[in-house]
Amino acid sequence: MSDDPFEAIKVTFFQECSELLGDLETNLLALENGEGDIETINAVFRAVHSVKGGAGAFGLEDLVRFAHVFETLMDELRSGRKECDDVTIKTLLRASDVLADHIGAAQGVAPPVDAARSAGLVAELEVLTHGQAAAAAAAAPVAAAADEDDFGFTPLTLDLADFGAPVELPSLELPSLELPSLDLPDLAALTSAPLAAPSAAGWRIVFRPHPRLYASANDVSLLLRELTRLGQTSVELDASGLPSLEALEAEDAHLIWTIVLTGDVSEAAVRDVFDFVEMDCDLSITALGGAPASVEADLPPLPVLDAAPAEPEFDIAALLAKAAAPVEAPAPAPVVAAPEPAVVAAQAPVAAPAAPAPKPVAPAAPAAAAPSSPAAVAPVTIRVDLDRVDRLINVVGELVIQQAMLAQRVMESGLARSSDIALGLEDLELLTRDIQDSVMAIRAQPVKSVFQRMPRLVREVAEMTGKRVRLVTAGEDTEVDKTVVERLAEPITHMLRNAIDHGLESPEEREAAGKPAEGTVRLAALHRSGRIVIEISDDGKGINRPRVRGIAVDRGLIAEDAVLTDDEVDNLIFLPGFSTAETVTDVSGRGVGMDVVRRSIQALGGRISISSNPGKGSTFTLSLPLTLAVLDGMVVSAAEQTLVAPLSAIVESLTPRVEDIHHVGGHDAVIRFRDEFVPMVDVGRVMGFRDDATTLTGGVVMIVETEAGSRAALLVDAINGQRQVVIKSLETHYRHVDGVSAATILGDGSVALILDIDALVTAGRRKSNRPELKMAS
Amino acid sequence: MPAASALNVLVVDDQLTMRSLIRNSLQQIGVREISEAADGELGLRAAITKPVHLIISDFNMPNLDGLGLLRAIRAHPPTSKTAFIMLTGRADRELVQRAVQFGVNNYLVKPFTTAQLKEKLEGVFGPLT
Repeated sequence: MSDDPFEAIKVTFFQECSELLGDLETNLLALENGEGDIETINAVFRAVHSVKGGAGAFGLEDLVRFAHVFETLMDELRSGRKECDDVTIKTLLRASDVLADHIGAAQGVAPPVDAARSAGLVAELEVLTHGQAAAAAAAAPVAAAADEDDFGFTPLTLDLADFGAPVELPSLELPSLELPSLDLPDLAALTSAPLAAPSAAGWRIVFRPHPRLYASANDVSLLLRELTRLGQTSVELDASGLPSLEALEAEDAHLIWTIVLTGDVSEAAVRDVFDFVEMDCDLSITALGGAPASVEADLPPLPVLDAAPAEPEFDIAALLAKAAAPVEAPAPAPVVAAPEPAVVAAQAPVAAPAAPAPKPVAPAAPAAAAPSSPAAVAPVTIRVDLDRVDRLINVVGELVIQQAMLAQRVMESGLARSSDIALGLEDLELLTRDIQDSVMAIRAQPVKSVFQRMPRLVREVAEMTGKRVRLVTAGEDTEVDKTVVERLAEPITHMLRNAIDHGLESPEEREAAGKPAEGTVRLAALHRSGRIVIEISDDGKGINRPRVRGIAVDRGLIAEDAVLTDDEVDNLIFLPGFSTAETVTDVSGRGVGMDVVRRSIQALGGRISISSNPGKGSTFTLSLPLTLAVLDGMVVSAAEQTLVAPLSAIVESLTPRVEDIHHVGGHDAVIRFRDEFVPMVDVGRVMGFRDDATTLTGGVVMIVETEAGSRAALLVDAINGQRQVVIKSLETHYRHVDGVSAATILGDGSVALILDIDALVTAGRRKSNRPELKMAS
Repeated sequence: MPAASALNVLVVDDQLTMRSLIRNSLQQIGVREISEAADGELGLRAAITKPVHLIISDFNMPNLDGLGLLRAIRAHPPTSKTAFIMLTGRADRELVQRAVQFGVNNYLVKPFTTAQLKEKLEGVFGPLT
């Protein structure tokens, strides 16, 4: 966080922008699905409006300009002047994409916006807003109007001393109904007699405001002042129309000004001064020297004050009653209001607390945090610096370790399990777990933020590849650690691209195959056994196994005659350097293969697998831990090393019997497990803790399941127990080690490695299978 | 001459960014008592529970917009005298016209500088110290 408040607010702005973009997308998609109503359109308008407002404050001109055009169209839509049809919604969706680009570019996290694309959309939006013909013409006036910020408004002044005086309904007198204060340089001229005929060239301007002009908060004095800037002026006020005080109708207009402007001034310059009031006055501008216009002849009778623009009626009384209703938890008595009254008292003349004056209430908590009403319970949130949360998580991690160490010491001290200390420790353990879960929950976020970005991607890829795609998402509210959410974006993006580019067929091919022309890509998240599972599936052509196999052979990844199951063939696409795209396409040919995707998933402690059905489609399954901080593990020992196996991978553990162990090809050992032969992996040997293959009996076997669903039997010396361990990244402190996902500190203070089951099983296979593959080739 | 430090201001805007910007500017001007509300309804509730001298409110907000807030504030005797400055976008002349009907004290066009905000405050309260 920066010390500069402005910079800090800018950070807030971009955070808010990403929320607004999310809302925008959600609401636009609702409109697209026909679920939207006027409030949805309003919400879209507000989101764009808010982006524009903030962007203006930070001088982000490009963003402001784009948002302005977007907002203008939304304004047309919400006012009902334009119908919100399918074409419009599609354009709005693409406009929201470009808006996101502009925001990203302004934030400096994305490349500069594609100017042509942005300009193209601006044009499209303008056509939608103004219609084809008017669009080009409209651009200029819009820009001009955008510069206007002086409405000729006279502030309604307020004397602070009045504050707290006995109150009554304010007399809502319009400020402009008073005669403007004419502090003009030529004030004298105002009341002077009709002027002498001008000698120099110039203009005679007769200006007769309508009541509407005043009602619109315009100030004649400002207009007159504006005219004096153009040249020498003399002004005559005709107040003869002013009735007597009793007959005065305050809302009528009675005054006529005649201004003689001398100097070399164009008529256009004069008209410009009255540009914004021309509709609300009678104005005659005649060149000096010409026949003086007769005011009476020129001016039509004054219209009466137009009816005030109709304001939507709403029940103010009900609103007030609702607002005044006590909040569920009534504010405490005014005990803590000390600082405020003190200030007020010191400034007594400003706000003397007279009888019905504001009664000091306890300083209100930020109103934003207060529930608006018992009925509409919005979740109350606070923003906390992530650093603080992480510090807390770290400390809780240490607490967990310390608690485990303490428990171990107590056990070693020989205290009875039923002793008070042991029982108290058990309670402490439960509490510690509770704290840990609660702290982890702070970092948990719904995957929505990532899923929300995908419709756009799908639109773009579909457009580029000429395919028709429908994206279906499910489980957006599934929560997972913030870091996991953030790092999911890239792999999901890549896989969705692949699914559309490689997975789905062209509309023609699909129809030929008897499928709907529009392909479906499904993105789903769900919780399964303490992990989050993300599934990306398509109903395309599935993996072309002969081709994948051919490529793998060509690249020397497998032997030509290797016997592989369908699953194993499918999983070949995750091998480094493997790419099935025959031609590098714009879409997925970015030199990033599925191996990179797999690696980034693995870096999160996750797994990726694929299942494919030729002609029917493919499903990629990502499985990730919910948190990167703790793990339920089984503590085991192998070759005198203490290791931790993730509990989620373990199916069962057993002591192997000699008769269950078989050798395949004289080399590989398999174990019979429920009528199934499962390959054995000697953990001590594969990890390189010992060289020789020891006897396979005498140890303990853990049946584990890999993410791909295959099973393996890990052989270890002993199982020491189940424990929740705090994950410490090995890569941060040392480097990546194959077969190890992380490290942890155990109760006795020693460091133990956490096994990466899939990598271990693969390594085990390599150690035994590779030579055979080679022999075969 | 009223002291800015004596002013009690409620800022109503659905955007945290905008509230923060206004708060920041108000603080630079010397205002110390600043509270915030995230929409018109919350703003109305805040203004009724804890009266303020001035409300600076956005126009476009969910639940209750700035104009509705202004009308309610004016209709409620204890708050009817509260000064009200409406935040508007550029070229939102029509909005200012409508707000004038309901007794808005001044308006402030976004984006604004601290100097502009001060000018608008002084337009309502006179020179501030």
